[in-house]
Amino acid sequence: MIGVAPPAYDPAAPTTAHTLPVGAPATVRAYVIELFRRHRRAFLVLMAVNTVSVVASMAGPWLLGDLVERVSDHARELHLPLTVSLFTLALVVQAVFVQQVRLRGAMLGERMLADLREDFLVRSVGLPPGILERAGTGDLLSRITTDIDRLANAMREAVPQLTIGVVWALLLLGGLVVTVPPLAPAVLVAVPLLVVGCRWYFKRAPSAYRSEAAGYAAVAAALAETVDAGRTVEAHRLGERRIGLSDRRVKEWTAWERYTLWLRSVLFPVINLTHATVLGSVLIIGGVFVLQGWIGVGQLTTGALIAQMLVDPVNLILRWYDELQVAQVSLARLVGVRDIEPDTGDRAVAPDGRDVHADRVHFGYREGVDVLRTVSLHVAPGTRLALVGPSGAGKSTLGRLLAGIYAPRDGHVTLGGAELSRMPAERVRSHVALVNQEHHVFVGSLRDNLLLARTSATDAELWAALGAVDADGWARALDDGLDTEVGSGGLALTPAQAQQIALARLVLADPHTLVLDEATSLLDPRAARHLERSLARVLDGRTVVAIAHRLHTAHDADVIAVVENGRIVELGSHEELVAVEGGAYAALWRSWHG
Amino acid sequence: MQIQDLPYADPGTPDARSGPRFLWWLGRHQPGGQFKALAWGLLHFASVSALPFCVGAAVQAAVDHSGGRLALAGGLLAVAAVGIALGDTYLHRAAVTNWITAAARVQQLLARKAALLGSALTRRVAAGEVVAVSTGDVEKIGWFVEAVSRFTAAALTVVLVCVALVVYQPALGVVVAAGVPVVALAVLPLLPRATRRADFQREKAGRATELASDTVAGLRVLRGIGGEELFLDRYRSASQEVRRAAVRSARMWALISAIQVLLPGLLMVVVVWYGVYLAREGRITVGELVTVYSSVMILTYPLRHFEEIAMAYSFSRPSARRAARVLSLERATDAGGVRDAEFDGARSAGADGVTTAYTDGVRSAEADGMRSAHVPGGDLYDPATGLLAPAGRLTAVVCGDPDAAGLLAERLGGHPAERSPSVLLGGVPLDELPLDTAREAVLVQDKDPVLLSGSLRELLDVPASGCVSARDALAAAQCADVLDALAQGSLDAEDPMDTRITERGRSLSGGQRQRLALARSLITDPEVLVLDEPTSAVDSHTEARIARGMRDLREGRTTVVFTSSPLLLDHADRVVLVHEGTVAAVGVHRELLHSEPRYRAVVTRETDEEAALSGVLDEAHRDALHRNELHRDELQEIEESA
Repeated sequence: MIGVAPPAYDPAAPTTAHTLPVGAPATVRAYVIELFRRHRRAFLVLMAVNTVSVVASMAGPWLLGDLVERVSDHARELHLPLTVSLFTLALVVQAVFVQQVRLRGAMLGERMLADLREDFLVRSVGLPPGILERAGTGDLLSRITTDIDRLANAMREAVPQLTIGVVWALLLLGGLVVTVPPLAPAVLVAVPLLVVGCRWYFKRAPSAYRSEAAGYAAVAAALAETVDAGRTVEAHRLGERRIGLSDRRVKEWTAWERYTLWLRSVLFPVINLTHATVLGSVLIIGGVFVLQGWIGVGQLTTGALIAQMLVDPVNLILRWYDELQVAQVSLARLVGVRDIEPDTGDRAVAPDGRDVHADRVHFGYREGVDVLRTVSLHVAPGTRLALVGPSGAGKSTLGRLLAGIYAPRDGHVTLGGAELSRMPAERVRSHVALVNQEHHVFVGSLRDNLLLARTSATDAELWAALGAVDADGWARALDDGLDTEVGSGGLALTPAQAQQIALARLVLADPHTLVLDEATSLLDPRAARHLERSLARVLDGRTVVAIAHRLHTAHDADVIAVVENGRIVELGSHEELVAVEGGAYAALWRSWHG
Repeated sequence: MQIQDLPYADPGTPDARSGPRFLWWLGRHQPGGQFKALAWGLLHFASVSALPFCVGAAVQAAVDHSGGRLALAGGLLAVAAVGIALGDTYLHRAAVTNWITAAARVQQLLARKAALLGSALTRRVAAGEVVAVSTGDVEKIGWFVEAVSRFTAAALTVVLVCVALVVYQPALGVVVAAGVPVVALAVLPLLPRATRRADFQREKAGRATELASDTVAGLRVLRGIGGEELFLDRYRSASQEVRRAAVRSARMWALISAIQVLLPGLLMVVVVWYGVYLAREGRITVGELVTVYSSVMILTYPLRHFEEIAMAYSFSRPSARRAARVLSLERATDAGGVRDAEFDGARSAGADGVTTAYTDGVRSAEADGMRSAHVPGGDLYDPATGLLAPAGRLTAVVCGDPDAAGLLAERLGGHPAERSPSVLLGGVPLDELPLDTAREAVLVQDKDPVLLSGSLRELLDVPASGCVSARDALAAAQCADVLDALAQGSLDAEDPMDTRITERGRSLSGGQRQRLALARSLITDPEVLVLDEPTSAVDSHTEARIARGMRDLREGRTTVVFTSSPLLLDHADRVVLVHEGTVAAVGVHRELLHSEPRYRAVVTRETDEEAALSGVLDEAHRDALHRNELHRDELQEIEESA
């Protein structure tokens, strides 16, 4: 059999459930139109300079044709110096405008690309917290890295180059029609071949290139994991398996390379034969016309040289067309974020007081599967509530409902009588903050890392916040103080220091209610204990809902709720619960305490 | 080498002494591919260069009103067209094949190097560099290796065309032959600056991408506490910097394009001027003039390859240097081990007591089909701290300093990063065994075990004794809710074993990750299992169940757990307190809680009077104490025998 079938395994196929939407064709189209409209001027300028450069480039063939005509007529005056001057002038104009085309093209592409990535980030940071919690940031992260990367090529090169190519080809054809009208149909002889070949190719190419790129990325990803997990790989003696995996990834990737190579093995002869057919038909048909005396030798020369020049724009169009198709998919993924309803909230809903109430709350992540069932709870201002229970019981979910991140399916969660889920996220977070295991230290200065909690804060306030969490010691010892660059690539902070920064942010943001979700669980015990002292200072006077993972946290709480299977099965103070004969909490406390 | 034959069964031993040597080594290993690319390239470029001769012949035929010669020109054109199409397609196939086989070979070499370096990689700065070579440098290396033969074909063609023009039309040919080198080399001096600007732009773009992904990674924090505008502004300015750098870089490339138009153009003007003069004199025909003009136009195509090879080399040289450096990395310690795995029992012949455990412990392949022969067994003893983990028992180690605990745990597995007296397993120094044998005997699960991406089945498919099923291990590590979470995030996995785990298990919580890692270690079922804080992120309810499950599953096997959790300590046969680098106390949990203030300080956070109330010494504990004294004696014996 001739040809190569597409490989069965597709590395670009999604493996995890898509959590964020992909833009519908209509959304993508609307966005592209908006983008074009925004940059209409730059497009027009690009086309204008391009027109000048192409017209100037046709001066050569035209002047040579004229000369050939006169030379072959022998007798007439040649005007050689004038022709050569014109030729040189046209050449200089062409060179200057080619430079302009290249530059304007890049400027346009870069501006569109910048718009695109900034737009996307603006949309991303406006996503409702509930969607972020549920979807995680992984999908978003791959969109902002992989998809932006892919689009970079399209915006930087494909869009301007295609614009240039189309204008170029049309002008050349136009030039041919103007100088040698009878030869224009000769060019069209090759069109059917090109159309059939390209249709075949472009039907298969974009998805194949996507798979190929994903396959190559998987090769690098497998290695990156082997490196990252070096200790684990060695401890479990996984070296051979990792090598086997890398080899398998190479095989999967190269299978797609082989397939796309086959696609090009069909396309290339088609393009080459198209060019040859164009040149051949112009030469032969034109030659016959000259023999018949319908056109002059000069016109034939001009026509043949222009036909030869058509190679470049046609190649340019074909070269970048599939890039644009690949980019379309990435664009749909970026634009998809726009399809998510932004967090609206009702500005009229405002809390009156600090009481947190949960009233017969039901909640589930999936249709028909409730994680929480008929949960009712009251947390009085200034009290500490500890949620304890086995993994998967619904503690974290309940915490997120109390922090206003999710809306209950049924029932109400209110703060000061106002429903949390109906408030705008900005208002919710001025009252309630959720602190989880994620102590992200942003790339940037220590100051930026704190300022985000209160953008108006002075340096003195920042130092006070650091002092409140016992972090001013090490922070003052830093060479550049608040200007020290931290985060990945900067100064590496210990997990405990990262946690202190998270706490200092809380001091600055100053919400009256805190939901702590295993905030210190990823720290080693010694650091955790040190931090808990800082934490205690931050918590002082605030309402606290702590998802307790160590029993001593529960012990210190005013009220303990034992959550099992989505329900609160025990509720009371430590003493009350320990006294319950056969109670879950009592049993655990005894095993902990001996 | 064909693409379908990849991957290489053995990618070979690279010459990694320097970047250029590495490039040479790669090229040398694909002679067939390079030759093919050269041959097809010659056909392609020569056919392209034949076009102007066809055009000239056709024009001349028209001038001379010769229908026959016009048809001949058409025939020549058809032949050239076939040559172009064949040459182009097969040159492309050969070139891409060369690129892919070179890239695949380097990727395979990197994978082998990474697997060999193992834990040594994470300690070195080199870890990032290996990944950088794989993601960025391989492409550039492959590009240059592939471009060499293509360039050679183009250069040969240029020379051939110049010679042909001189022969065909000496007067004009000489002009072209003199002009071509200028055209070919004129832009080369600009290339370094252009590539520098391109590098600068890439660096800026990398920075912007980093900021964006960092902002997205911390988005939950931002949405939870505020500061979105601050970060957006920061990103906007970074993004605009990228744009400016890109435009600056484009300015340079635009200049290069202009020169590429101007110089061949000027050559054409000279050709026309001189050619028309010659034609009027009658020294050349019109057709010849058109041929030479058209040739100069076409020559720009092979001439581009001069620029390409220069760029490919300037890009690939630093890449090849980095790749060579990575590929020449070696482990700091000798992974082979001074002691052959085939040691005999002679060393222990004179001693008795503890060392008999060693001779008993050397398992044979017959006794345990799943394990390789001669994996030692017996008590695990660390002479540096005096820590002893008796064979078949669950020993818990409490250490006030978590960093010291991590280092001690690492040492217990043998072949540590820092040299120290070797840990003994059944009297055999682990450092002297081959690395693989030591790792087989003792599995150390560090504080941050990495979950490798893939299906759950793949994650749990580790070299193992085969005695512990995945189901049992998952049950012991209390992974039921982890399986639920995985099922939620997967597309269509009916069997929980088919669910996907993302890189480093990022979609799971810290506690869930820990439990999966624990399950993986339990499946391995090694002779000695060392766990460093295996449940620090797990809630108390679950931790209590894990303690019971793990104890039952490891019944009769040697297990060492570094922990400060009473729920785990309570299940240990023997608890050792390590303080400031030496064993400070040995006993069982309840007894140490009562008798050892330093222990109590590390393990509990309760006040002294509470401790006094809770600790009661009973009969069982006295037994344990007795056992523990026995071990102290053994300890001395080992020291003597070592």
